[in-house]
Amino acid sequence: MTDEYANPWLYRLKWLYMLLLVVTLMSPVLYVMYISFNANGFGARAYDFTFEWYRLVFSDTLLLNALRWTLTLAVVVTCITVPFAVLAAKYYKTAQNKLPIVFLLLAPLFVPPDILGSALLVYFKSLNASFIWLGDQLGTSMFDGWFRLSFFTAVIGLIIYTIPYAFIVVLITMGRYRTEQTEAARACGADGWRAFWDIEFPQIRAGVFSACSFCVILVFNEYTRTSLLKGGFDTFTTVLISQMLNTGMSPQSYAMSSMVAFTAIAIIGSIIIFTLIRTESLSRLARAKAEPVMSS
Amino acid sequence: MSETTIATDKAPAVEVKNLSKHYGPVKALRNVDLTIAAGEYFVLLGPSGGGKTTLLRTIGGFHKPTEGQVLLHGRDMSHLPPDKRPTTMVFQAYALFPHMTVLQNVSYGLKVAGIDRKQAEEKAAAMMDVVGLSGFAERKPHELSGGQQQRVQLARALVLDRDILLLDEPLAALDAQLRKDMCLELKHLQEKVGITFIHVTHNQEEAMTVADRIALVADGNLVEHGKARDIYRAPVKKFTASFVGENNMLSGRVSDVNGVSCTVDVAGSQLVVQKRGQQVAHGQPVDLSIRSELVQLSRANGSNNAGDGHSILGSYDEAVYLGLTTSHLVRLPNGVEMTSRTISDAVDDLPTPGDPVRLHWQPEAIRLHTS
Repeated sequence: MTDEYANPWLYRLKWLYMLLLVVTLMSPVLYVMYISFNANGFGARAYDFTFEWYRLVFSDTLLLNALRWTLTLAVVVTCITVPFAVLAAKYYKTAQNKLPIVFLLLAPLFVPPDILGSALLVYFKSLNASFIWLGDQLGTSMFDGWFRLSFFTAVIGLIIYTIPYAFIVVLITMGRYRTEQTEAARACGADGWRAFWDIEFPQIRAGVFSACSFCVILVFNEYTRTSLLKGGFDTFTTVLISQMLNTGMSPQSYAMSSMVAFTAIAIIGSIIIFTLIRTESLSRLARAKAEPVMSS
Repeated sequence: MSETTIATDKAPAVEVKNLSKHYGPVKALRNVDLTIAAGEYFVLLGPSGGGKTTLLRTIGGFHKPTEGQVLLHGRDMSHLPPDKRPTTMVFQAYALFPHMTVLQNVSYGLKVAGIDRKQAEEKAAAMMDVVGLSGFAERKPHELSGGQQQRVQLARALVLDRDILLLDEPLAALDAQLRKDMCLELKHLQEKVGITFIHVTHNQEEAMTVADRIALVADGNLVEHGKARDIYRAPVKKFTASFVGENNMLSGRVSDVNGVSCTVDVAGSQLVVQKRGQQVAHGQPVDLSIRSELVQLSRANGSNNAGDGHSILGSYDEAVYLGLTTSHLVRLPNGVEMTSRTISDAVDDLPTPGDPVRLHWQPEAIRLHTS
């Protein structure tokens, strides 16, 4: 519903404000992208378009390894986080007292990343020392590596980081879903899994895919926790930042930054475009069926 | 309470034995025993929060009993989930699958059962015809009215050919007129398909319209059950009398006991009531009930004073016009209000408020309640 008595200039002003905000937020990213295609690098007056910096990124073994590790990390974290978020959202939907669930799941959002990262680092180091001591007492070395900083500890840190986002995204899409629908499916003969797959999942599918995308983007972009908790491997962002800290921003760094930004924008953009197209096609369908049918 | 079932040579569709359901300290059901015959339209009636939906959902397998058994067609199914029981269910609302069309909703159970798609759709279409939904096959649930949505639920349940259909307040979300119409439709549908319907409602008019038998459920207990007419005309329990119909409830003490009847002192009047097999003792507090439509109102004068045991004096309060009927409210000397309901416009010369009046009834109209 629109307010027909509203001042049209106020409406335009609101749009202008939003546009300004988006431009302010996106300008640095767009500028980095712009530089990444310049053969003369940052600060040069002349602009010669090139893919050279991207080619260099993909011919660098260190970076390719980092990309592989990042992708593996993203896949593993997504595979664990999203099902957990779905279960948590399902539980939230049926729970009588919802506040503790929300608090528990969203709490990691309110802890600064460096504090959470260092807390986990201390925790894993203490745990590792305890397990080594336990192994020594038992005369075995089998516990020695369990909580050494590694891919495993990085995964735990990233799961804690991504769960609140995934939970919220899935929960938003659960708005239309009612538990009676699952019960109705059970009453129709479907077992628990079938009822979930046929009735619940199609309704939260958009949320699940969005949560997956979020997880991948978050893992790609995350630096603080990953750098503190990773073992002897590097991710795309840790390489990028260590290169920037050691040798300053190189044209290659701009290319890498742009790739991360491109990936995130492409994923989010695809979701938005898909949703818009789907909404439009559904409303067109609804309009086509709008003429009344009298029941006999 | 003795079990009464409609005479049939089939095994009972549902037997509930000593069923209890507890949620921590809350006792939602307490030692319920109930038998429902195959092909019967059975209604669970009672106030909200009384346990009727819990009983229905326990029969359907949505709740596990804390104690006791649920037998369906003679087999103990207490441990089985809903999809393994010969039951299906119609919910109050929100239970249609919103991402599916009407046809997909109705044929869903057949698809789960592994029936060929074409055959399933034909069967679903036939059932949609039965519930008056032809032409709506391609609609989504949100494009239907409340009544149409409930019909879809009915079709989805009936198409499965299960023996027992559970209905959890299926008409509660509908407006009054639609509820009335659908009540009759439900009754006719049950007669047509011939399976057992177990219907939960808190609406007594709805219950009376559809039920072969009614069970009153309150505070986790099965208070009373019997044929709809008996529950209305001859309630045994005080709760039933207060919940079903528009009964005048009077409290008093037994002042005399003789043979098949006793005399009860109510607000100074000595009322004679048949015991109907109940044991009472002199001085015992008891309750009496009498339906408002069986109470007649007349002006009190010297020649018709109370004293015959079947009338009581009071002062006229007011008339409440209800369209077809009018309720005449009379205040007794102890402050209790009694109602006499008559066909509107049947009484021309109404008393004015404060006038002394006499309420009287036929001897068999008043009922004694000891519990």
